Amino acid sequence: MISAGEVVARIKTNLGFLWRQTTYRDTFKFGGPDTVVKGIATTMFCSYDVIRRAAEAGCNMIIPHEDTYWNDRDDVTIVSGDPAYKRKVDFMREHDIVIFRMHDHMHAQKPDFIWVGLARALGLESKYETAPQSHHFTLPETTLGELAAMCQKRLGDQALRVVGDPKAKVSRLQLGVGYATPSINNPDVDVVVSGEQQESDGFLDSPAYVLDAMTLGIPKGWIMLGHSVSEEQGMLEMAQWIKSFTPEVPVQLIRTGEPFWAPK
Amino acid sequence: MHPISRRKFVALIASSVAATPLARGIGGAVTAQEVVDRIKKNVGVDWKQETVDTFKAGDPSTAVTGIVTTALASLEVLGSAVKAGANLIVTCEPTFYAKADTPTPPVRRGFGPPDIPPSPPSPDPVFSAKDAFIKKHNLIVWRFSDHWRLRKPDPFAQGLVNVLGWSKFAGAGDPGHLSITETSLDTLVSHVKKSLKSRGGMRIVGDPKLRVQKVALLPGSTPIQSSLKTLPDADVIIAGEVREWESVEYVRDTVALGGKKSLILVGRIVSENPGMQVCAQWLKTIIPEVASTWVPVGDPYWRPM
Repeated sequence: MISAGEVVARIKTNLGFLWRQTTYRDTFKFGGPDTVVKGIATTMFCSYDVIRRAAEAGCNMIIPHEDTYWNDRDDVTIVSGDPAYKRKVDFMREHDIVIFRMHDHMHAQKPDFIWVGLARALGLESKYETAPQSHHFTLPETTLGELAAMCQKRLGDQALRVVGDPKAKVSRLQLGVGYATPSINNPDVDVVVSGEQQESDGFLDSPAYVLDAMTLGIPKGWIMLGHSVSEEQGMLEMAQWIKSFTPEVPVQLIRTGEPFWAPK
Repeated sequence: MHPISRRKFVALIASSVAATPLARGIGGAVTAQEVVDRIKKNVGVDWKQETVDTFKAGDPSTAVTGIVTTALASLEVLGSAVKAGANLIVTCEPTFYAKADTPTPPVRRGFGPPDIPPSPPSPDPVFSAKDAFIKKHNLIVWRFSDHWRLRKPDPFAQGLVNVLGWSKFAGAGDPGHLSITETSLDTLVSHVKKSLKSRGGMRIVGDPKLRVQKVALLPGSTPIQSSLKTLPDADVIIAGEVREWESVEYVRDTVALGGKKSLILVGRIVSENPGMQVCAQWLKTIIPEVASTWVPVGDPYWRPM
């Protein structure tokens, strides 16, 4: 028998670096350390659908990468008046669910499984990576159109979005994940592949930059996979890692999946 | 030389000064600064101390030959303005690819030792080419975002209502909430895609067969609080841009829990296009001296099929 608190203690021990007590992200979001764990599911977003499928699979401890209550701080005062919040919480209570988020410490791990998982899923082999953990790859030259089609085929995401000339010749790829999207104006980068980024009014507005680069005939491309699709790949590596030190219970990845569909 | 007496000339100047607080440019032309002053006076919103609504390029004392409004002053839009003989660009989003909106790239944070200030960034070909284009054609760029957004009724929602052909459904009040003829979500999506000339930027959460009637519009970029406030009284939200870990997951959960709801994301710039068309129409009423023209920005996105 293993408690949720013991699972978290083993995560902390196996990280290889000190736990950051200041994290507001990597905490219990529902349930607590005393809950007896029957099985563990890793996932990207702790959506209601994921919780339901985890419960069906006999996993009552869920380790998501992202938030549970639709805001990064999981501040329930923002959402507590909403009917969906009440029903989600009721379901978790009825099914003895315990949620512990792994975000900041996952990104601090060497290597960061999130990047490892996305590179694996996209088939970006390490022989193409310019320097270890640079997330910068020099690929055999292709076009932006071909690269985007490859990403869509490998990840199966319908709602992937691309900015740039489909015929632009690209080779130097900077990989990002989630909202950690690199800027496209780096001279060593032809194309950025990442999850999500605000379209404008940020530190560097890549869509507007790529539009103008296209007008000027400068080959640049920007491929947005979606937040969930870009980061959920690495939750497989996270499941395998947790499994290595929690032999008492089954551990599995439960995919959150892409939230969107796209019109024809 | 025009046969005009000095006395008449002085009277003319005096009358124009009386009509507008600032002196006009030579030959009765209106300056960029004067356009902005008239906007501030007429927009109906208290002017903020801290705002992005400032000149980004060009000399404000330049006589305006024509005004172009746009959601994004891309090089293509600037080119259209030059062709049309307009030299004042009123843009909703930044011209130089960042909130900082300066003709050189923003200094990358977090590099190098903390006690040594970061070195200036190396020249960037896209920033430089845009800056050179603006200078070559003596363009003036002024951003209009913070205050245009606060005007009542919301011009961005009004613009979407106009382009979606829903004026007959909009009451006298808030154009952001309306009840359309009931339809299915996928039929509505097709209508929105066609009306907004969307290429590949649309993303939808919800059952394509869902019946929808009550529509809420959230143009631009909006936080979770806006969706939480809006969704309970709507069947579908049509939004520009939201954070995926916020509103997208909120709607996904609401749908999974049986809520008959949906979300259509069209992209921030695409959602702001029609609101800048409303801006051009409004500018005509307060700047009669020159033409105000809206230049749309195409959907930046495409997707492989």
